[in-house]
Amino acid sequence: MTDVERLFRTYNTALVRYLTRRLGDRDWAEEVAQETFVRALRQTSIQNERAWLFAVATNLVRDEARKDMRRRKHLALLAEEGRDEMVEPEETTIERAQEAAMARKAIDALAEKDRLALLMREEGLDYGEIAEALELSPGSVGTTLSRARRRLVESYEALQKSQEEREKNAAS
Amino acid sequence: MQHPDEGTIHSWLDGALSADEAARIEAHAKECPECAVAVAEARGFIAASSRILTALDNAPRGVIPATAPKKRIDPMVWRVAATVLVVAAGTFLVVRDRGSDEQPMSVAADRGILLEKRASLPERAPSAIGRAQSVADSAAPKAAASKALAIGTAKKTVASASRSDVASRDNKATASEGVMMRAGQRAAGPGYAGGAAPTAPTPIAQSGVTGGVAMDATNESPPLKVVGTPRRIGAKVTLYEIAPGDTVTLTEAMPIALEGVVVTSAGAPMAARALGKSAASQSKTRVDTAAITTGTDSQRTNRFLTVPAVSAPAPTSQEGRVSTLRVVSWTDPATGNTLTLTGRMSEARLQEIKIRIERERAAAAAAKKNP
Repeated sequence: MTDVERLFRTYNTALVRYLTRRLGDRDWAEEVAQETFVRALRQTSIQNERAWLFAVATNLVRDEARKDMRRRKHLALLAEEGRDEMVEPEETTIERAQEAAMARKAIDALAEKDRLALLMREEGLDYGEIAEALELSPGSVGTTLSRARRRLVESYEALQKSQEEREKNAAS
Repeated sequence: MQHPDEGTIHSWLDGALSADEAARIEAHAKECPECAVAVAEARGFIAASSRILTALDNAPRGVIPATAPKKRIDPMVWRVAATVLVVAAGTFLVVRDRGSDEQPMSVAADRGILLEKRASLPERAPSAIGRAQSVADSAAPKAAASKALAIGTAKKTVASASRSDVASRDNKATASEGVMMRAGQRAAGPGYAGGAAPTAPTPIAQSGVTGGVAMDATNESPPLKVVGTPRRIGAKVTLYEIAPGDTVTLTEAMPIALEGVVVTSAGAPMAARALGKSAASQSKTRVDTAAITTGTDSQRTNRFLTVPAVSAPAPTSQEGRVSTLRVVSWTDPATGNTLTLTGRMSEARLQEIKIRIERERAAAAAAKKNP
């Protein structure tokens, strides 16, 4: 098994999930993850594999968003076309779709560093890896994560509350 | 011990603290109710945020909520627009190929051309006029003014003259007048060799000149621009652009050798004059039979033919615009092939173009012989 295969088998699931949560698009997430592993292939040695992979993936997302607007537009068009044809999975209920939409709003409301740190932590990266990937001091990761979690939950709860109020108003 | 901050509590719960530090925080949280609440709250945030983030895992493929797609035009609109564009372009090409682009005819220019033609042929013009055959519809006053002037060799004219009908003789003088009518009442000019002076202006006057006569008017003309050579069996077709959007079509019938000038004029009565090779050349004359709606055999000639496209009044206006398709046919002396020039413009203009084409063909033939 080559190094890249090992890296892929070890980290692909976590990386794709992290990117999916970050981007909200599974296809795009897989694409970025693949590009991340291709870049790993070019590296002679990687000290902290997980931190390196998540850092590169994060930078790819950032660079793409900044540089490749055409591709983004293209994907947006594809997304809109696909939206018409998209068939929701059977298990996806309205409640789950609402939860996903609110979660997306809540995560998007976070500051970029807070969001990335939280998503990385959710994928099991330790504080050192998060600090390395995001170029933070190790001591500030706890503060960043605590702030991110609090804001995420508060934001989500606020969205839930307003949703409930809307439903109440609609019912009455 | 000082109360740990929220970041430290999260670090402790995440297992990011050293063993000593973790032990101290744990001990303090057990003793301090305030910190115990903070720890419980932090646990709740960690669990809740994980649950919230899990909801993001159901993100469908091909959706990017981060970038709201711009409003797009319905693809059906594009399809309809593309269809309209294709139809419009096709119509334009077809219409252009048929020579529908009307060439505003300058009466003054027309007069000038005719005068120059006349001036260059002081000797031959009278004889041609003398042979002019004009078949006029007696019911239409304009008929007397619809004329054709042809200049050919003596041989050619003998045969055709024999086919002249009596009516044409009656209109001989009028025909010559018609030829020069567009010369703007300048019948007494040095180049005019016709008979009687024009007596009444007519809105329509067609004339045809054959015989490869050099015309000064064309000396300064730029080379004709070939814009297309559509394929056609048995004929070589060339599209010339005279002016932007104004084209004429030259058709060279390869296997047929004939001489003839066919002039059509909407609404004008048929006026024909035979100068060709009697019955033989008559049968060779290329006339669009679909365009001939009236007329008898005697009115159809292989040399000049003025054909009313429809029975409606002549659409030509006083502004000099010509809306009918005119046809001029002649035989290339070099190849013996029949050349047909069609275009929606005045006959004089068509004749001018014909001369230019003949010149260019002669120059091309000379260049081919002596490269």
